[in-house]
Amino acid sequence: MFLGVVLAALVIETSFLPVFLASPFKPDLMLVIMVFVALRGSYGEGAPAALVLGLVKDSFSGLYLGLNVFTFLVIFIAIKCVADRLYAESASLFVFAVTVATLACMSANLLLLLFTNSSGIAFSMGSALIPHLLANAFAASLVTLLPGFEQEAEAA
Amino acid sequence: MDFLKKHILLILIAFGMLAALIFYLLNIPDNRSANMVERGLLTLFAPVMKPVHHTSAMARSAWENYINLVDVRRENQLLKEQIKGLNSRVLEGDEAIQANTRLMRLLEMKKGLKAPTVTASVIGEDSASWFSTIVIDRGSSSGLREGLAVVASDGLVGQVIKVTSDTARVLLLTDHSSGVAATIQRSRARGVVKGKGDGQCSLEFTNREEDVKVGDVVVASGIGGIFKKGLPIGEVTMVKKGEYGIFQTILIRPGVNLAHLEEVLVIMRGGHE
Repeated sequence: MFLGVVLAALVIETSFLPVFLASPFKPDLMLVIMVFVALRGSYGEGAPAALVLGLVKDSFSGLYLGLNVFTFLVIFIAIKCVADRLYAESASLFVFAVTVATLACMSANLLLLLFTNSSGIAFSMGSALIPHLLANAFAASLVTLLPGFEQEAEAA
Repeated sequence: MDFLKKHILLILIAFGMLAALIFYLLNIPDNRSANMVERGLLTLFAPVMKPVHHTSAMARSAWENYINLVDVRRENQLLKEQIKGLNSRVLEGDEAIQANTRLMRLLEMKKGLKAPTVTASVIGEDSASWFSTIVIDRGSSSGLREGLAVVASDGLVGQVIKVTSDTARVLLLTDHSSGVAATIQRSRARGVVKGKGDGQCSLEFTNREEDVKVGDVVVASGIGGIFKKGLPIGEVTMVKKGEYGIFQTILIRPGVNLAHLEEVLVIMRGGHE
């Protein structure tokens, strides 16, 4: 199930959406899935999932394998630390968490990219920040509309 | 009297014919206006004629519509199917024409390269918007390896960076990590084309004294051995010489529309063995 969702999200993100959307408006579906797992899942199943999601993202994005593996794991742990004290089933919280996670992911990526020769990438990331935040928040809000979201909430 | 009785019918007919002939002859000079008889008849029949005519027209229309409606639904469905089929054929035709044009241009580029090449289709883009890479449908099984140059009909696209058996990722010219040794075609001024991430590139390390103008064509210099000398890269869109510093700021628009790439050529020479 998890691998199927990741595969579908990857195909949508890399092959389907780029045909219709301008580059900054592509949502980061791996991040959205990771936030969902962090809010709903346990450490035991969530941490490997975050690693896999980061690995998949790195394999299809940029040059640096491990960049998002590390970033996703840090964000997963950060969300997991506070998730137990929050009403994690809330749709609004999910959208908010995705937005904050997007900001955190971009900041962490930027910090890590300082060690590489990607000069000027800060400008590109800065100019893509707002549309990327909006696209991710929109994708997260669509996820909350899925039938399974409420069922998961009830089950939790 | 007997004669009259015997031939009364004949006489009446003859008389009637005569009267009719006279009536006709009398009316010849005044044939454009209605006489009293005509007026009387028209006035008498007009109230009846009008509704009868309407009814007849309605009946005729209903009959014709009924006849026409028979099989109209089936015909309509058939025509709709035909329209769908024709529309899809038109779209396929348009797509084929466009693909043909693109492939013809790619073929021209291939002929000019004088090196073995592999044609590949773009099947994916980078999932992050601040990196510029694409995924192509050829990999090590087609002989691809890291470092090979990738071109399209309008010039340089980038280089192969990560290869699997059936796919490979290509680092585009516009990525921040990309660097290509380049020359201004007109003045032979040298520099390094670096990606700026927003669909543009810059020509770095070009001395202030070098002659660079807006509109100049930038080509690969061949230094480094990855990109063939003379491969078109793009066109200078801005030149700025600051008051200080030893280099000038030069912006380049890539010749290839990297946002709408569909087919590329991988030059099978060079790269990392």
